[in-house]
Amino acid sequence: MHKLWMATLVMLTVITGVSSTNVLHIYTALDVDEAKIYIEAFQQKYPHIKVEWVRLSAGELLARLRAEAANPQASLWLGGPSDTFIVAKEEGLLAPYKESLGWQYLPAKFKDPDGYWVGIYTGFIAFASNKDYLAQKGIEPPTSWFDLFRPEFCGKISVAFPYTSGTGYTRFATLVFLLGEDKALEYEKKLSECIHHYTKAGSAPVTEVGLGEVAVGVAFAHDVIAKGVAKGYPVVLSFPKEGTGYEIGAMALIKGGPELDLAKVFYDWMLSAEAQSLFKKWYRVPLNPEAELAEGLVTAEMVNLVEYDALWAAQNRDRLCELWQRVTGY
Amino acid sequence: MSAELVLQKLTKVFKGRGKPVIAVDHVDLEVQKGELLTLLGPSGCGKTTTLRLVGGFEFPTEGEIYLGGQPITHLPPQRRPTATVFQSYGLFPHMSVFENIAFGLKIRHIPRAEIRRRVEEVLNLVGLAGLEDRPPTKLSGGQQQRVALARVLVIKPKVLLFDEPLSNLDAKLRVETREHIRRIQKDLGITSLYVTHDQAEAMAISDRIVVMNQGRIQQIGAPHEVYLRPANAFVADFIGRANFLRARVVAQNVVGIEVELTNGERVVVEHHFDFAVGENVRLVVRPEAIDLVAPEEGLLRGQIVLVQLTGASAHYRIALDSGETVEVEILGALERGVLSPGTLVGLRLHSRSLWILRE
Amino acid sequence: MPRPPFFSVTRLLHDPALFLVIFVVFGLVGLFVVYPLSRVFYVSLFYRGAFNPRYFLYFFEGRPYLLRPFLNSLTVGVLVALIGTTVGFIFAYAVTRTDIPGKKVFRWMAMFPIISPPFLLALSAVLLLGENGLITRWIFTRFGLRWSVYGLPGLVLTETLAYFPLAFFTLEGVLMSVDPALEESAMDLGASKLRTFLRVTLPLTIPGLAASFLLLFIRSLEDFGNPVVIQGRYPVLTVQAYLAITGMYNLPLGATLAILLLVPTVLAFIILQLWVGRRSYITVTGRPSTAGLHTTEPYVKWPLFVIVLFLSGIIILFYGLVFYGAFTELWGVNHTFTLDNFRYVFSTGSSYLINTLKLAGVATPIGGLLGIVIAYLVTRKTFPGRRVLDFLAMLNFAVPGIIVGMGYVFAFNTPPLQLTGTAAIIVLIFIFQRMPVAIRDGVAMLQQIDPVIDDASADLGAGFWQTFRRVTLPLVSPALVAGMAYMFSACVTSISAVIMVVSAKWQLVTVALLHEVDNADLSQAAAYGVIIIVVVWGAILIMDVMVRWLLGRWRHVR
Repeated sequence: MHKLWMATLVMLTVITGVSSTNVLHIYTALDVDEAKIYIEAFQQKYPHIKVEWVRLSAGELLARLRAEAANPQASLWLGGPSDTFIVAKEEGLLAPYKESLGWQYLPAKFKDPDGYWVGIYTGFIAFASNKDYLAQKGIEPPTSWFDLFRPEFCGKISVAFPYTSGTGYTRFATLVFLLGEDKALEYEKKLSECIHHYTKAGSAPVTEVGLGEVAVGVAFAHDVIAKGVAKGYPVVLSFPKEGTGYEIGAMALIKGGPELDLAKVFYDWMLSAEAQSLFKKWYRVPLNPEAELAEGLVTAEMVNLVEYDALWAAQNRDRLCELWQRVTGY
Repeated sequence: MSAELVLQKLTKVFKGRGKPVIAVDHVDLEVQKGELLTLLGPSGCGKTTTLRLVGGFEFPTEGEIYLGGQPITHLPPQRRPTATVFQSYGLFPHMSVFENIAFGLKIRHIPRAEIRRRVEEVLNLVGLAGLEDRPPTKLSGGQQQRVALARVLVIKPKVLLFDEPLSNLDAKLRVETREHIRRIQKDLGITSLYVTHDQAEAMAISDRIVVMNQGRIQQIGAPHEVYLRPANAFVADFIGRANFLRARVVAQNVVGIEVELTNGERVVVEHHFDFAVGENVRLVVRPEAIDLVAPEEGLLRGQIVLVQLTGASAHYRIALDSGETVEVEILGALERGVLSPGTLVGLRLHSRSLWILRE
Repeated sequence: MPRPPFFSVTRLLHDPALFLVIFVVFGLVGLFVVYPLSRVFYVSLFYRGAFNPRYFLYFFEGRPYLLRPFLNSLTVGVLVALIGTTVGFIFAYAVTRTDIPGKKVFRWMAMFPIISPPFLLALSAVLLLGENGLITRWIFTRFGLRWSVYGLPGLVLTETLAYFPLAFFTLEGVLMSVDPALEESAMDLGASKLRTFLRVTLPLTIPGLAASFLLLFIRSLEDFGNPVVIQGRYPVLTVQAYLAITGMYNLPLGATLAILLLVPTVLAFIILQLWVGRRSYITVTGRPSTAGLHTTEPYVKWPLFVIVLFLSGIIILFYGLVFYGAFTELWGVNHTFTLDNFRYVFSTGSSYLINTLKLAGVATPIGGLLGIVIAYLVTRKTFPGRRVLDFLAMLNFAVPGIIVGMGYVFAFNTPPLQLTGTAAIIVLIFIFQRMPVAIRDGVAMLQQIDPVIDDASADLGAGFWQTFRRVTLPLVSPALVAGMAYMFSACVTSISAVIMVVSAKWQLVTVALLHEVDNADLSQAAAYGVIIIVVVWGAILIMDVMVRWLLGRWRHVR
C-alpha cells in the first residue's frame, strides 16, 4: 500500500510539473533574437535558475499584465520603453526594488524615483531606407519628418501602430512634442494616407525595408542596425533633422510575481557592466557608464533630440491612441 | 390462460412538418400467454408502430402497456423483457455468429461456460450448428435470419416481437422459414407478437390475427374467423380477395338470412345477422366459392372478360348481366379445361361460404 | 386530438445512464461554449457594470475604425465564397466526371491547404507578388504594371487558395451522389450532354453550391493568419479585434468588433443548417468516383485539366517557396543554403513544439470522443432539448476562433474557474473549438451504421454505454481515427483561438510562427512552417496506417 501512495505522489509531482521553484518567468518586449542573448548569458552565469520567457510587444505586454493582475504569471518585465512602465506603475502592476544597488547608482532621469522601474538602455527613433531603391531613384535617405510625404516615399512607408508598439507610440509622441497635439494629429492623418501598412511590432519595418517591400520605415536606431544592416539587408540609417524622440528602455519587477527573489537576481545582473556590455551585440546604448560600446554606435551627442517628457507621454497614452485611431481610421 | 401482454388505449401521434399523423389510434389488445398474435394490414396501418411501442423503440402519446401485469410503458428497450427480430435483422457486422448470439448473455454477465452451452443449444435449435465463427456478412439471407432468431431466443424473453422478418427472403424460403419459426414458437411456448403485410403468412402461422387499418383495429380473431366472417369490407378484401354483390334482405329465419340479388335470384346465408328486412346489404363471395356452369344452370349469369393462369388455378373476371364484376378462381383448371374470354357462363355460389356486410 | 404527454422526462428517468450523459454534455456545452460567448456579448454591451453599448453606437454612426473593417470583411468574404466555390466546382467536376490523368495527385494537392499552418500562403504571396516580390520584379515591372498584392487582392487570393478545397470536397461528394439514373434518362430522352449538365446535373448540385458558398464565407470572415500578413491598408475585423484587445487592452472595442464579426457568420451558419440540413457535407476521406455523366470530350476535358493543373501548380509554388525559404539565410535577400533556421527552431522553439504536441495530443482524443458521443445523442436519441444541444454544440463552427479565445479570456480570468495561464485553458479551447468538426464527422460515421443495430443492441439489454462501447465504437473506429487525425492537425495549426491564451509556461508553435512573421524574420517563420507541415502530415500518415489496420482487423472476425 505504501508503495502505491509513493508512486501516486511521485506521479502527481511529476504531472504538476517538477520544480515549480527555480524557474523564473520573464515577459520581454525585446526582439526574440535579442532577448535570447541576455537570457542565455544569465543562464550561463546562474545555471541553477531556469528561465522561461515570452516575447510580447509593449502594448500587448501591458495588456497582458492588466489581464493577469489578479494572478500574475511572470515575475520580471525586461525591456520596452519607459512610458509603458510608468503607466503600469500608476495601475499598481509593478513591485518596487529600491535595494538594488544598480538602481541606486543611476541618475534620476533614467529611473523611477520610487524604485518601481529602472532604465537599462536608451535608443533613438530613426529612419531605415532601402539602399537599392534609393539608388534606383537617385535620391538620398529622408532627413526630415516631412520627407515622408515626398512622392518617392509616399505609399511605400511602414511604421508600427502606436497602440501596439512602444516604438510606434514613441514616434507618435515625438511628433506631438515637436508639433503640438493638433498639428501632430494632422500629420498622422496625412501619414496614414502615405502608409503602405502599419505593423504590430516596432522593429518589423526594418526587415520590410530590407526585403524591399517598403522603401522607408521608422524604428529605433539599434533595431535598424541590428536587424537590418548587421544582418546583411541593404538598409541605410538616417535621422530627422527637426529632432527625434528617444526611449529609455526599462526593466521592472511584476507585482505579485510567482518568483520575485529569482527576478531580483536577474534584475541586479542586468544592471551590471558585464550584462550591459552585451548590448553592443544589438547596437543599443547602455546606461551603465562602465559598459563596453559597440563600434560605430550612434550615441546621444550625435543626434538632435526632442524634449521628450516620458511621464506626460505615459499618462496621455490611452487618450492619444484613441484620438489617433479616430483620426486615421485604423 | 392469462393475458401476458396488454395494450390499453395505446395511441401514437407523429408531429411532422405538416399535419400531425395518428399512427396508432387508441388500440386495445390482449395477447395470451404462449399465443402467436399477428398484426396484419397494409403499409401505414400502424402495425409496425404498435410493435415498436411494445418493444420500447417509440413512446406512446397516450395509453399504457402491461407485460405480465407490470407497466412497461416508459421503460427503455433494454429494461423490457421483450426481444425483437427485425426486418433487416440488425446483426452486428463486426462480430461472429457466436458473438452475435452471445451478446445478450454477455450483457447480463452470464459466466462464459454457461454462455457457450446456451449458444450451442440455440444454434442447434435453429439449425446453424457449425457456423459459429462466420461473420454475418458471409451468410445467406436465410441464415442471417436464423441468427437473428437465435440471438433473441437465447436470452429467453417473455415476449418475442417479429417485425416482418420474412420480407427480405424469396418466396420459397419464406414459406420454409415461417414454418420453422412457428414450430419453434410453439415448442417453446413463447408469447409472440408478429407483424406482416402478407395475409397468407398471417393465416398460416397465427393463433389469432389482428387486422389493422389507419391506426385502428378492424377485427381480431382466429384465421378462419377473420377469413370467413370478416367484420367489414376492408377486412374482407384484405384477407384473400372478395367479391361484393348488391343485395337486399328479404327474410330472416331459423336457418339464416335470405337476400335477393339484383337479378331477382335469392340466396340464403347460414348465419344470424342483425339486419332489418328490406335493408340494402352487400353479399361477400370469395372467388373460390363460385362454380362455373352452363349459363342457364347458374344463379347468376355473365361473360368472361379476362383469364389469367397461375399454374395451380385459373382466374376469371366475369362481367355479370347486372353490371357488376366478379372474380372467380377455379382450382385445377388446367386439367379440366380453361375457358376463354367471351364465353357466356353461369355462376353458382357455395352457400356455406357466403357472408353479408352493411352497405 | 390527443395531447402529447409532459415529455419524456419521466422516460428519461428510467434510463439513468442516458440521463447522466445528457446532463453532463449539456453542462459542458453550457460552460465551455455558451458562457464564454455570453461574456463577449456582456463586455461589448456593459462598461464597468453599466449598460453602455458605446462602440455599437459609434458603428452605426459610421466611425471608420468600426465601419471599414466590417465592410471589408464582408466584401472579402463574398468574393472568396464566389470565386472559391466556382474553382472548387471546376476541380470537383474535373476529378469526378472526367477521365483526366493524375486525379489522385490533384486530390492530395487539394488537401494541402486544409491542414496547412496559418500565414504561409500570405507569406509566399508577399514573396512572389509583394512590392519586391519575385514575380513582381521579373514580370510586372518589365511590363510597367503597378499592382499590389496587399489588401483586397492579396486577401482574396490567399483565402481562395486556402479555402477552395473545402468547396472541392463538398462538391465532390455532391457530384458523386447525384443519381446517375437521372442523367442517363435525360440523355436517353435526347438531351445533349451539355443540356443534361445544365438542366439536370447543375440544379441538383445547387444545395451543395449553396453549402460551399456559405462555408467559404464563414471561413473567410474568420481568417486571421492571412490578413495579419497581407491586409495592408485594408483592415478586416479579425485582426482589428485582436489588435484592440492585445494592443490597446480596449476590451469593449474588441468585443464589439467581435460581435460585428459574429453576426454575419452565425447568420450564414443558420442559413446553412436550415437550407442544407444536417447531412455531412464534407467527407475528406472520400472514395474514388465512379458513376454519373462522364465527359470524355477533349474540348471539355483538357481545358479543365489545364485549370486544375494550374491551380495545383500554384499550390505547389506557394508551399514550395516556404520549403525553399526555410533553408535560406535571409529570405528575400540572401539565399545561401543553411540549416541555421532549423537549428533555431529546434533550440528556441523546441519547448513550443513539444507543448503544442502535448496539448493537441491530450485534446484530440477527448474532443474526438466527446464529438462522437454528442453526434450519437443528437442523431439517435430523443430527449427534451435535443435540437438546442445540436445547435449549441455546433455553434463554434460559426464562431470565429478569435472570438472563442476572447471569450475564454473574459470568462475564465477570475475564480472560481481561473484557468488563464494554464494548460487547461488551451486544451479546452482546442476541444470546444474543434468539436463541431468532430460532431459533424461523427454524424457522417453514424449514418453509415444502420440504426437497426442500435435498436437491436438495446433490445438485447444493453444500456447506453454498453451499446456505445461494444457496438457503436468498434464500428466507427476507423472513421473515428481518421477524424481524430484531422482534429489533431486542426489543433496544431490553430492560431486565432489560442493567441490570447498562451502564456509563459505554455507557448504554442503557431504563436511562435506569428512572432517570427511579426518581426519579419521570414526564414525562421518558414522553418517553423515546414516543421508544422511535417508534423501534421506525419499525423495523417500514421492515421492512414492505423485505419487500414483497424479495418483489416474486424473484417476477419476471430
